[in-house]
Amino acid sequence: MDIGHWAVAAPAVGSAFLASLVEVVEAFTIILAVGTLRGWRPAAIGTLVALGVLALLILLLGPLINRAPLHILQLVIGVLLLVFGLGWLRKAILRAAGIIPLHDEEAIFASQTTRLAEVARHHTSLDWIAGLTAFKAVLLEGLEVVFIVLAVGGGRGLLWPAAAGALAACATILCVGAIIHRPLARIPENSLKFAVGVMLSSFGLFWSGEGLGVPWPGEDLVLLTFVGLFLGVGITTASLLRRKPREALK
Amino acid sequence: MNILGDVAKELLAMFLADARLTISILILVAIAAITVSWLHFDPLIGGALLAVGTVLILVEAVAREAKRSGS
Repeated sequence: MDIGHWAVAAPAVGSAFLASLVEVVEAFTIILAVGTLRGWRPAAIGTLVALGVLALLILLLGPLINRAPLHILQLVIGVLLLVFGLGWLRKAILRAAGIIPLHDEEAIFASQTTRLAEVARHHTSLDWIAGLTAFKAVLLEGLEVVFIVLAVGGGRGLLWPAAAGALAACATILCVGAIIHRPLARIPENSLKFAVGVMLSSFGLFWSGEGLGVPWPGEDLVLLTFVGLFLGVGITTASLLRRKPREALK
Repeated sequence: MNILGDVAKELLAMFLADARLTISILILVAIAAITVSWLHFDPLIGGALLAVGTVLILVEAVAREAKRSGS
């Protein structure tokens, strides 16, 4: 594999892995609340069914994406990645600058536990509700991962490496979570989100340009320049906003 | 629990969390496409437009939210 291919393959697998870490941490908090309150059977069943639905989506949509004409596919996926990636990066910059609060896994765990305990007071058989809660959490958090795997993997023959990256993240978080048995509050979620936002925005810019027929200098290697560009702009913007007194923003 | 409704909401939120950001990106790509395909400028100019435009859109979206939160 030449260095140009690695320049695309490594960020593709890395994006899928890091994005999955972020989403699985969020889903794990809810699975943990379900498991702690109602036992691990409904939590495991809900999780496995949702993972099955997500895998089915990749299996169904992956081959469809590979059949689309390459230029149109690159343009459509490039624009979607730009919208999605810049959205993540925007939120990560605002969180890094302290403008919007960081994701609090402990608080989410507490609120989910309270909600399920409240439902338990009114229902004698709560197992199906608990299972459904785990199912919904994994399904909703996993949708973004499915999009990222399809977007960065489709059209370039990287679907399976990207899916493997996402699966590796799931396995990592589930193993760590099973051992420590607490919400994974210490994971630097915003830094991960920042990194994923940078990578997805870079892919989006690269593929939108390819779809329009732009002959990027350095071909695939220009991706690394885009990563540096978005990373630099992101870090600079966050640090400028951190320093700037709130009054100056008004 | 309306799971299908929640899935639809999640999908919409993925791409329309900041509608202005989404619209700006669509307009930028349309301008780059017109520059390259209809006005027949060098495609690299279209690429440069995309690169500079996405950075400006990002900075504007962050500054707008910061200003909104501060007011």
